[in-house]
Amino acid sequence: MEFNYEFDWAIPFTDPYLGMIITGIKVTLILFAATTVTSLCLGTVIAIMRISRITILRAAGTLYVEIFRNVPGLFWILFFYFVFPELLPEKWGQALNHYSHYPVVAGIMGLTVDNASYVSDILRSGRLAIPHGQREAAISTGLGRVQQYSHVLLPQMFRVTLPPLGTRMVHNFKNTSLCMAITAPELTWATQNIESLTFRGIEATSIATGFYIVLAGIMVSIIILLEKYLKIDVSSINQSSA
Amino acid sequence: MDLLGQLVNIKFYLLGSYPKGDVGGLLLNIIMALMALGLSFGAGALLGYSRLSCRLYIKIPSMAIVETVRATPLIMIIFWIYFFLPYIFGGNVTLFWSAVVSLAIYAAAYQSEIVRAGIIAVPRGQLEAALSTGMSRYKAMMYVILPQAFRIMLPSFVSFFVSLFKDTSTVFIIGIIELTQAGIIISQREPDKIYAAYVSMGIGFWCVSFAISRVARRLEERIGVFDLESIRPDACRDEFMLLPREKKTGEGMTPAACEPEDSK
Repeated sequence: MEFNYEFDWAIPFTDPYLGMIITGIKVTLILFAATTVTSLCLGTVIAIMRISRITILRAAGTLYVEIFRNVPGLFWILFFYFVFPELLPEKWGQALNHYSHYPVVAGIMGLTVDNASYVSDILRSGRLAIPHGQREAAISTGLGRVQQYSHVLLPQMFRVTLPPLGTRMVHNFKNTSLCMAITAPELTWATQNIESLTFRGIEATSIATGFYIVLAGIMVSIIILLEKYLKIDVSSINQSSA
Repeated sequence: MDLLGQLVNIKFYLLGSYPKGDVGGLLLNIIMALMALGLSFGAGALLGYSRLSCRLYIKIPSMAIVETVRATPLIMIIFWIYFFLPYIFGGNVTLFWSAVVSLAIYAAAYQSEIVRAGIIAVPRGQLEAALSTGMSRYKAMMYVILPQAFRIMLPSFVSFFVSLFKDTSTVFIIGIIELTQAGIIISQREPDKIYAAYVSMGIGFWCVSFAISRVARRLEERIGVFDLESIRPDACRDEFMLLPREKKTGEGMTPAACEPEDSK
């Protein structure tokens, strides 16, 4: 095997480039943390809409999922960056366009709406996995509608769906790299920037790839640990409800 | 009304500059997704099957490959294949093939998970019965387990195809004129109608993936019902869950027996 390329590992660690990578890591983590929180919230709301008894809410939730799930996440990121400011009143749109962190904000919005549709689907299937008796027991102890969800159903929904939710969040973490398309200064963008400035992007890209793999690995192991810690013995629940 | 105005460009959205130039637009997305799925199927099946192997020297490398690819963003795989491998090893890669190959690598990792889950989902009794009729392990796999496993996997494959189709939009980053890039080009040509260009792009993606996901749901209904109700006896239903998550206790002869964790 012959290498046409001489590696120079000093480059990603010299002055302007190291800063770019560190900023990139920061922005990636910000994007990931923000979208995790927002998409979990939005996804929960939509999941509750989709299992509610009110037809309009259910239809709206289903519509949301059908629209957002069937279009690539990249599209929503581009949409919020290029189109969303146009749809707003002119003054707001211009303010957004001049806002220097708007790429990051648009990335957060795009990733959120995309991820929330998956989260709501997962949570909804989790609701279906909870035995009827749980709801009935909640009603019979006198809990109101909101309390039924907040105290009985939602905690179980999250527990049951922890493995698929975790996989989804890892996926979401990888999807933050799509934000480079709208020049959000996250890690992938930083490596491409270094590549275009120095023509020596391989080292930086290796570091970035390693970062993604290691962080995804850490997340997966946290999820496996959580899963073991929170595991419910489903068979015992089914027996007691039968 | 701007949206209707986009009908002028509908050929560019759907086919790119096809008769005069390369195929592009939505058709290219579909072609790339199909080719990536086809190319990666063998590798995916092999990886998925070897992850179930009891031999650690087969199991661990395949696990490492799958987990590494699954932990890497698709965009990174595309950059590696398109920019850096030619750098390192020399040679030239065309735009289209580098996109297809990187999508195939990405797809292989995910397909291997589907194959693995499908094989685990075949009831253990099937393998035991096959072995007890005197089949070799290879024959039992080929004639008994895999045909059933593929039936179980089919809906997952179709829904994975939807997600792969959506992921083909990512390759616009290296300048392939597929639907995303087509929309961007048109939106730059007519900057006052950005909204219309993007919405038509979205509608293109939506129609195709909505149609395929409907097919996936149909398959899920049909195959799921058929498997659970008519083939499998009621007596040991929990053995036959489509995706068993818990480790089976007791010793068995299936490859699944040495499979400790169903990760993630």
